[in-house]
Formats: sequence, C-alpha cells, structure tokens
Amino acid sequence: MSILIIQILNSLFYASVLFLIAAGLSLIFGVMRIVNMAHGTFFAVGAFATAWLVARAVALGLPAGWTFLLIPVGAGAVALLGIVIEPLLRPFYRRAEEYQLLVTFGLLLILEDVIRVVWGGLPLSADPLMDALPIIRIGGLIYPAYNLVVIAVGAVAALLLWAGIYRTKFGVMLRATSQDRRMASALGLNVGLVYVSAFAIGCFMAGLGGAIVVPTQAAVLGMGIDALILAFVVVVIGGLGSLQGALVGALIVSFVRTAGIQFFPEIELAVLYLIAVVVLLVKPTGLFGSA
Amino acid sequence: MKADVSRISYRPKLALAAASALVLIVLALLPPFIGLYQTQLLTYGLIAAIAALGFNILLGYTGLLSFGHSAFFGIGAYSIAFLLRDAGIHSMELYILIGLPIAALASALFGYICVRHTRIFFGILTLALSQVLYSLALKLFWITGGTDGLRVPRPTLLAGTISFTGAGAFQRFIDAYYYYVLGVFAICVVVMWVIVHSPFGKALQAIRDNEIRAAFLGLRIHRFRWMSFLISGTFTGLAGILWAPLNGLTTPDVLYWPFSGEIVFTTLLGGFRNFTGPIVGGIVFTYLKTYAVATTEYWQLLLGVVLVLLVMLLPTGIVGAISAAAKKLGPNSP
Amino acid sequence: MDNPTTVDRRKFLGAIGVTVGGTGLAGAGLVAAPQLVKAAAEPPKGKIPDTPYKTGHMTFLTGPAAVLGEPSLKGHTLAAEEINAQGGFLGKRKIETITADEAAGTDANVKELRRMKLEGKIDLFTGVISSGNTPALGPVAEEMSLLTMFVDGCTDFLFDKAVPQPKYTFRLTNIQSSDGITAAIGTAQAWPQTRKIAHLHPDYSYGRNAAEHFTLAIERLLPGTQVVSESWPKLGTTDFTSHITKILSSEPDLLFTSVWGGDYVAWYKQALRYGLFDKMKVATTLAFGVAPHALGKDHPEGVLAGVHANYHFTYPGGDRWPVNKAFVQRYFKRWNEYPNFQSEGSYVTLYMLKMAIERANKLIGGWPDDEAIIGQLEGLGFDAPSGYLYIRPDNHQGYKDAVTGFSKNNAEYPFPTWDPNRIITIPIRNITAPANWPKPGNGHNESTAAADWIKKTWPKAMG
Repeated sequence: MSILIIQILNSLFYASVLFLIAAGLSLIFGVMRIVNMAHGTFFAVGAFATAWLVARAVALGLPAGWTFLLIPVGAGAVALLGIVIEPLLRPFYRRAEEYQLLVTFGLLLILEDVIRVVWGGLPLSADPLMDALPIIRIGGLIYPAYNLVVIAVGAVAALLLWAGIYRTKFGVMLRATSQDRRMASALGLNVGLVYVSAFAIGCFMAGLGGAIVVPTQAAVLGMGIDALILAFVVVVIGGLGSLQGALVGALIVSFVRTAGIQFFPEIELAVLYLIAVVVLLVKPTGLFGSA
Repeated sequence: MKADVSRISYRPKLALAAASALVLIVLALLPPFIGLYQTQLLTYGLIAAIAALGFNILLGYTGLLSFGHSAFFGIGAYSIAFLLRDAGIHSMELYILIGLPIAALASALFGYICVRHTRIFFGILTLALSQVLYSLALKLFWITGGTDGLRVPRPTLLAGTISFTGAGAFQRFIDAYYYYVLGVFAICVVVMWVIVHSPFGKALQAIRDNEIRAAFLGLRIHRFRWMSFLISGTFTGLAGILWAPLNGLTTPDVLYWPFSGEIVFTTLLGGFRNFTGPIVGGIVFTYLKTYAVATTEYWQLLLGVVLVLLVMLLPTGIVGAISAAAKKLGPNSP
Repeated sequence: MDNPTTVDRRKFLGAIGVTVGGTGLAGAGLVAAPQLVKAAAEPPKGKIPDTPYKTGHMTFLTGPAAVLGEPSLKGHTLAAEEINAQGGFLGKRKIETITADEAAGTDANVKELRRMKLEGKIDLFTGVISSGNTPALGPVAEEMSLLTMFVDGCTDFLFDKAVPQPKYTFRLTNIQSSDGITAAIGTAQAWPQTRKIAHLHPDYSYGRNAAEHFTLAIERLLPGTQVVSESWPKLGTTDFTSHITKILSSEPDLLFTSVWGGDYVAWYKQALRYGLFDKMKVATTLAFGVAPHALGKDHPEGVLAGVHANYHFTYPGGDRWPVNKAFVQRYFKRWNEYPNFQSEGSYVTLYMLKMAIERANKLIGGWPDDEAIIGQLEGLGFDAPSGYLYIRPDNHQGYKDAVTGFSKNNAEYPFPTWDPNRIITIPIRNITAPANWPKPGNGHNESTAAADWIKKTWPKAMG
C-alpha cells in the first residue's frame, strides 16, 4: 500500500515538472503561434542556473533553508533570457511557420553549447537545497518531503496561471491576442508587449520546471533535448495551446511512465510515443485543443 | 512562394544538361586528386544530397515541412542490417532492391497518417512517429542491438562480382563505393528532375501555392500529398540504404529527432526553392559539420549560428542566393 | 548440459582463490622494480626518426559519464609528459595527443576515428570507455590497420564477436564478464544468506552483460537465489525515483546494480532519500569507478563498491607495492586529485607501448613497425600500479587480478574509500574463460565465451 502511495507521489512529482514545461510551450504557441524548439533548453538553463546559484550561495555560507529563494531567481533568469531573445524572433512571426521552427531549432543548438560554455561539461547538483527538508515516513517507507514541495509548486503554478489567464485583465489581453491578433491590435492592444510578456511567462515556466527539479537530480547536458520531446508528447495529448490540456497531458504521460517502469520495464519509452500517435490520429488537436 | 514557371524551350534545357554532365564528370575525376579521406567524405555528402533531394519534394514542391524524415533514413539503414544478419545477404543490389520497397511501404503508411494534417500538426505528427521508431529501436535490443546498433560490413557490388576482403580492402572499397554512389546519385537526380517537371510535379506546386484554388481545379489534395510523401520517404530511405555500408554500422542515433532537424537544415542551407538547392546543401552541410566538429568542441553553437543567420539573411539558401544574384547580373539567366 | 558437481561453498570460494583483507596480492611476488620511471638504461639501436608520435585519445569529456571517463585522459597525459621528459619513445619521438569527446555518440565516434587516422595521421588510437563504442570502433581500426589500445569499453563482445582475431586492436582493462562475476563472489562471500535479488542496470550491453554473468555466477555460488525485480533505465537517466520505488516494492535482500558514472552518483543520492540502503544490501560493479572525489561522504558504508574488477588507488596500499604509491603521488601532484581505474589503465597503456617499442628496437634496431610492436605486446607482462598485468596473445586482452571492496569513510580522505580489512582479491584466471575457449558461434550460442565456460566447468555450491 505504501508502495502505491509512493508511486502515485512519484508520478505527481514528475507530472508537476512536465506540466510546467508543457504549459509554457502551450502558452507561447497559443498566444504567438510559435512552436519554440528551444523550449526544452530553456528548461535546462533554469536547472543549471539554479544549481549554480545554490552551490555558490552555500559556498558563501548561506544556510540551506534560504536557498529556496534561489528557485524563483533561477526561473527569473530564464524569463530574462526570454525577454532578450524575443525581439530577435520578431521578424519571423509573419513568415512561414517553417522558418520559425528552423530559427528556434538553431536557437536550441546555440543554447545547448552556451550552457556548456558557461557551466562546463560536468553535471551540476543542488543537493543542499533538497537536504534542507526532512524525510517523512509513509507507511513502512520513507519519502523526501522536498518532492511534496515540487508537487505543491506545480499545483500552485497551475492555479496561478489559470487565474492569470481567465481572471485578470492581462489575461483577457492574452486571450484576445491569441484569438485574433489583428483585431486585438485594431482595438488598441499593444500586441508587441503582449507577445513579450507571453514569451517571458512561458520561459519562466520552463525555467521554474528546471529550477525545482534540479535539487532532486543533477543538471546534465542534453537534458533539454529529452525534455522537449516529452513536452511535445504532453501537448500533443493535451492539445497545443490549452492549459487544461497541459495539465491532463502531463498527468497522463507521467502515470503511464511510472506504470511502465513498475510493471513493464522494457517498453516505457515507446508507449508514450504510441499514445501520442493514437491521440493525434483520433483527435489531432489533442484532448482539449482547438485547431 | 512563387511557382517556378518554366517554358519548354530547348536552349536552357540543353545548357542545363551540359552543365550537369560537366559537374558529373568533375565529380567522377576527383578521387585520385583528393585522397581517401576526402573521397569518403564526399561519398557521405552525396548520400546526404540524395536524402535532401527526397526531402525537398515534400518541402519545396509540396509545401509540407516534415520533422520526422530520420524515420525513413533509419528504416533504410536498419533494413540492410537485418537483411545481412537474418538473411545473410551481402549484395548491394539486393539491399537496394529489397530495402527500397520497405522504405516505400513505411512512407506510404506514415504518409497516409500524416497528410490529412497540415502545418504544425503535420510536423509534430511526423516527429512523433519517427520517435516511436526511435524508442522501439532503442528498447528492442534483441532485435535491433539497442544503443550498440548493428554492424554492416562491406557488401559486394555489381551482383556479387566485386567484393572487398584482404589487405587494402578499405581503400578499394571506398574507391569503388564512391563511384557506385555517384552512379546512384546521378540516377536519383534524373528521376527527381523528371518527377518535378512532370504534370504531377506541377500539380504539387499548385497545391503548395494555393490549396483552395487547386482543390477547385479538381486536384485531389490528399492523394497528391500522399504520393509526394511516398516519393520523399523512398528517396530518403535509399540514402539510408547507401549510408549503412559506408558507415559500417547503424545505431538508433540515426532515428533520433535532431537528425531529422539536420535533414531540414541541409535542405535549407542549399535552398529549398531550387531543384539543385538540396544537392548543394547536402554536400556543403556534410563538410560544414565535419569541420565544425574537428575545429571546435562548441560545434553545435557554430551550426546553430549558421542556421539562424541562414534563416535571417539567406532564407533561399546558397543556390537561391546565387540565382538571385545571377538574375540581377544577367538578363537571361534561368 | 548443466550437471555440475556440488561443493561446499567455502571450499568453492577458497578454490577460486578469493583472499580477503589487505594481505592478498596474488602474483605480486617480490617488491617490484620502479620500472615506470626508469630512464632508458641503454641507448636505442639504429636510426630513430625524431618526428612526433601522434596519438588519438577518445574519452568522455562531457556529460554524466565524464566523471568516470575524463580521468582516462589525465592518466594518458601524465604518462605522455613523463615519457616526453626523457625525450619521448626511444628518447627521440615525443608523444603528441589529439583528443575527441566520446559523448558525441557511436556514429560520430566512428567518423572521428576515421578522420583521426586518415587526416590526422595518428600512429596510435587509445582511450574509449563505453562498451557501446569499442565493438563499433574495433573493426574500423582493424580495417585501417591502425594500432589501437583501448583502455576500457570492456564488453566481451569486442573480442568474442566483433573482432575475433584481432591484429591491431588491444584492450588493457579487465574484460567485462569478470566484473559481474567479481560482484557475485563478493556477494557470496559477504552475504551468503542472500535469497532475493533485485537488478538495476543501464539498458545497454554493459548492463545486460553484468546482469547475466552475475546471475550465472551467483546461481552456482549461492543456491536458491531468485530475481525479484528488474529495472532497465536508459543510460543517462537522471530521475531514478520510480525505479527506486519499484525496487523497494519487491523487498529484496540484495540489489545488484551496474549503473555507473554520474548516473550512479545521482542514483545513490536519490536512493538515500528513500531509505533504500537501510532495507537491503547493495552490490555494484562500478560504484567506485568514478574519479574518487565525485562521491560524497554521504555515500553509504558497507556497499560492495566495485571498480570494474580493476583498480582502486588505495590498493595495494602503503609501501607494499611502491609502484602504486609512486603513481598515486605523481598523479595527485599533477592533477590535484586521485586516480581511478581509467587513469591507471591509460597510464599503463602508454608505458606498455613504450616497453614493447624498446624491446622491438633491441631486437631489430631502428623504429619498429607496427607488426614488431604488436609482436612484443602479445604476451607482454607488466608490473602496473594495480598489480601484474598480462596481455594474452590470443585475444589481445589485458588480464589482471580482480579486486573489489566495501565502501567506508576514512578520516584520511574527503570521500569514501575501501575498508582496508575487507578488500577481496581474486586471481583472474579463475574467473575468466581460458585462452582458446570456443567463442560464441563455435559450438555454442552463449552470449560470451565466459558464460559458456561457467556453465560447463563451474560446480554448484551447497550450504
């Protein structure tokens, strides 16, 4: 029984991180109609930046508990990176979609190596942050409390995003721009500002995903490329451009992966892609998406 | 994107044929002058050109961007490995004869699934399908060898008459294989030329330029797109078939999605609006990547910058830029 | 075919020659002469060119495998510098090295090897850590007639199937099957009450080989064990939490794992938080294979911490084997860190090459061609820091006595090392198939010659 609870918690943990990445991807696509191939790499930048900050802070004597504050800093750094990059992408909004995919793919290649230049080739970890929280007992087994924090962060982020998009004026602007850019612009909305904001928020989400996951595992080169493909699977299942889709998709992918590891260790990867293909065939816009 | 309206007149065609023959002759004469390593590299380049040529009928002529072409390349490569291991076949001709229909079948299947969607969803669907294959190749190690891949030793050429064993075999193989690939490459170019200049090719371009109008004209959009996909995947599969013996082994890396990205990069580099673009792109990219890797450990950065600059400044690729410049300079250039 | 005799388990272990504790140094004999830094006693014969000797070294320089692979380059560089300080090979040819990052992937590595030879004109190719790469690179080296001395890439598959009659290819560190068998022997010796075993291995040839040979050996050393769970994370996995939970759910007595490098570091830290080490014993093939400082003192004690049956810098310790003490000192002085088995392997590679070149030169004079060097390498014995190393002529594989130990925190080092009272050494000839034992495909279809040899010749323990 405890095992079941722990595997459920493991799935929720993984889903939390996936949701953050996928929601960012979906948001950017929903508002700006760009598929950002470098999105996974933004996730990686968040992980590396946070791990580096934590290591420096601890070396400078900061007590481990305070390092939690570095998580939003790491995510914020990625948002800043997004704000810097977005203007470079502007010429491509009106161009054919192919060019956007290619430019963001080029961005992926560049950022992957920038990570290496800045942080080196070896994995970076942020253990002090995770070990600052206790280990709790569940039945006869133990479980790190930090993972519960990750789950909470994911849930809170989902809530805040939903509130932000559906309950605030800014959210209205976002939705208006995503539905009809020309009309929104004609009505006086500063579309450029909306775009930058959407991109920054999307990058922040990806960076946050990296920041909260890195204490539990190290930041390694190539983590962005793996993450991107998983994020794609999530939004394919959930629907590109849909917040609920990102949430539901993340949960499905995560639980299927855990079930695969527990019961069918041989095929964990293939099952995920197959599900994506099936969904694409049956409802190509995803469970919650619209064309 | 404007359609390429060419009149049927003899002069330009003759000039074109002469120019192509010249290029072919130059390529055929190169090996003794450039040495073993460069010959081997050029062979890789020709194979990349074939893959890009196939890819471009889908992108340049039909307007569909696939991010999953690594699937067909990989299917071609792995078919050979299976034919070798399970059926003991060593003949290059048999590899092509059997491998090509397999690649065609896969393209037909994937195409049928994918062409009902367009734009982003088409791209994502092709990506997802190729990754299904990738994960299968990775996990089913008792069939595919997993991450270690499968060895593909030197095949026999020309229906078993030429084989490569003993001392100096590697050198002889590269020398012979270069010409073999060059021959296949020439055939591919001719075949593709005929296809894109046929009424079928014109129809593809019409669909690409204005889908609705084409539909009104009575063209069956899905059917034409599917056939384009089929041809595209088959050519890329042929490239994979040619690649495996040169590489000596095939691994799941060739199915991984960044490799599809490379194929796209290659086509864009040369220019996807011209027939010769992908050919130039294939060869140039092969050299670009090899020397980037050899020169700096940050070769991904280098390639990424090249790609971004390409899209920003030279979106029509090398050939596109050259032909635009030629248009400005000469009155009658094609 | 399985109709083995049964023996008493303790006698079995004794027959294999297992010695526990720091005393065993099978094959040590006398104190070794410090041949590693001995200047050439006599001048070389004949005319030697003074062109540089170019080597290509390929290892993991980035990614999680780098904590295990990058020291290989450090060992190589140290040896090259020492040899060059005496003028280079035969006092005339200095060693130059070009490096490549093995993390580029098998395909790219094959291309890079070709480039190194055809364009870079290297004389020797060395390095290579991953078992996925040596079977791909070996045949390429053979067809280009390039002298190749792999440091690792230990899979039996290389000389069993991929290059069954190697001419130019050699491999220095122990063959992989001995890795799993060593872990099994360590388990049987320390935890004979083990019955339920869980497996956790990276999903590629190394992991599968480790699982298979461990199981073959443990079935014979400990009667009545069963496998209660298996997990096969992809190489490079960073999140092991679901795998860890699954292992816990199967309630094993022992976990056997061949996860290595940065993956292992990530895994043990995650496993600590789930309390895995309190619930079961853990046996590994490569826990201590990484550069020693990559492990923290949070690493649990009492884990069977394998070093790929090759070398841990603390053993042989003290003054018992001065070659090792001197090597560790010089390595630490140069790199400010301690060596791992890859550093020792690559270091020894260049010195064995040096010895072969010198011997060939003594016989024929002038700079020996590759054939002559190969002739000297075959059957070459050498007193390495790890012990006596022998290159068997039939398969060009290096053999040294296997060693493993149990993790313990010592005040002397800022990272865990072995408990000096519990180090296990095993004569290598007792856990590897002998020369000319039929390879897979010759009368049997086992995955390795070693597997066939175990099945046909090992008895079963009882009690």
